Amino acid sequence: MMGDMPAASSGAPASGEAAASGALATGAELADLLRRSALGDETAFAALYDATSRRLFGLVLRVVRDHAMSEEVTQEAYLDVWRHCTRFDPERGSAISWLMTIAHRTAVDRVRASEASRRRDDAHAATHRDVEFDTTAERGQASLEAQRVRRALTTLTDAQRSAVELAYLGGYTHAEVARLLDLPLGTAKTRIRDGLIRLRDTLGVQA
Amino acid sequence: MSPDLHHLSGAYAVDALDDDERTSFEQHLAVCAACRAEVAELSAAAGSLASLTEATPPPSLRASVLSDIAQVRPLPPLTEDAGVPDDRAPNAGAPDAGGTVLPIRHRRRTAWFAAAAAAAVIAIGGLAWSPWSDDAGSQSPMAQVTAADDAMTVSTTKDGATAEVAYSKQLGKAAISVTGMEPAPDGMTYQLWYVGPAGTATPAGLLGVDAEGSGQALLTGQATPTDKVAMTMEPAGGSAQPTTDPVVVLALA
Repeated sequence: MMGDMPAASSGAPASGEAAASGALATGAELADLLRRSALGDETAFAALYDATSRRLFGLVLRVVRDHAMSEEVTQEAYLDVWRHCTRFDPERGSAISWLMTIAHRTAVDRVRASEASRRRDDAHAATHRDVEFDTTAERGQASLEAQRVRRALTTLTDAQRSAVELAYLGGYTHAEVARLLDLPLGTAKTRIRDGLIRLRDTLGVQA
Repeated sequence: MSPDLHHLSGAYAVDALDDDERTSFEQHLAVCAACRAEVAELSAAAGSLASLTEATPPPSLRASVLSDIAQVRPLPPLTEDAGVPDDRAPNAGAPDAGGTVLPIRHRRRTAWFAAAAAAAVIAIGGLAWSPWSDDAGSQSPMAQVTAADDAMTVSTTKDGATAEVAYSKQLGKAAISVTGMEPAPDGMTYQLWYVGPAGTATPAGLLGVDAEGSGQALLTGQATPTDKVAMTMEPAGGSAQPTTDPVVVLALA
């Protein structure tokens, strides 16, 4: 499915990291769980949930912030995954990227629909603090993948990194990002793209 | 390709386009393989950032998710004639609860058409709607349902438009009848949905409204008592998920 859907596996070998990151299974395992889910296998879907829920919920929580709403959004995203799992095409990309895309879009849509005004009030705060993304640290140690990603982020310029983080983890539109960062309108989308390209190249991510 | 559009790939990959931009970029994506490939790669790169924000959801969420999926059938797989590019992230545009009929004529047409254009591009290809087959002969859709012993009807009216839904638990079927409804404009259609308790919409066929503003249809698929029936305006052929706000929402029980 999601023909044109992004996909991709992080180039990193996933299996060794599974334990470190909590539960994330290998791309092949996730793809297999999706395939079985498409056949109506609820046990497989439960396993898929167990393997991915920390990552999905963490992202949704990061974007949405409100805990109760994040639970709703995560629930909605998983239901969408279930409903659409027949459309997942491993040829077109990795399972985890597919899941994250669904979760992110769901979170962003929810935030824009229902929380636009509240979040705009937070805009000032958002620009004036570093994006503290390390809820992983709550678990004592960052996953290997997180370490890799953090290292990769250092290859971005500050401007690129801020733009990518505000857009993806903050859930802001590029126009909002431009305003938050005092950039001319239209510049933020270029920064976001350039930053993602660098991230992709550094991580060796493939679609 | 337009260089300008091409530069939207990154913002699109992180859902940072506004609705209008998203719409036009998705139209562009449908015809630009280079951008499709780039979006896929950049989305994957962005997704890796989520490894920095992991958080453990409450155990109750797992139970809720598993309870949800037990009640929902996955969409059918895409078939060969799925000529249009796929949907991207599916969007469960859950209509709000409650029984309302909004007068279509008062809505902003432009927004609808913009949404419709987007949906035309990203509509899930496999869902080629065949209008419900009238295999019950000449009996009207409403009559087919109301003929059941346990049939019940609910209706709602607003600004001269009325929608009535008949439902039979025995048959597991629902039908809808509307009057005073503005016919769908060219290239558009009314589409029916079951909306489950979790707010997810399942397609339930199309509804034609004639020049007099009347129409009836038997909803496709199985109706369950916890569902609501919703009706939205969609591009001709229907959408996989609602792309506009519902004009009608009625609870079955």
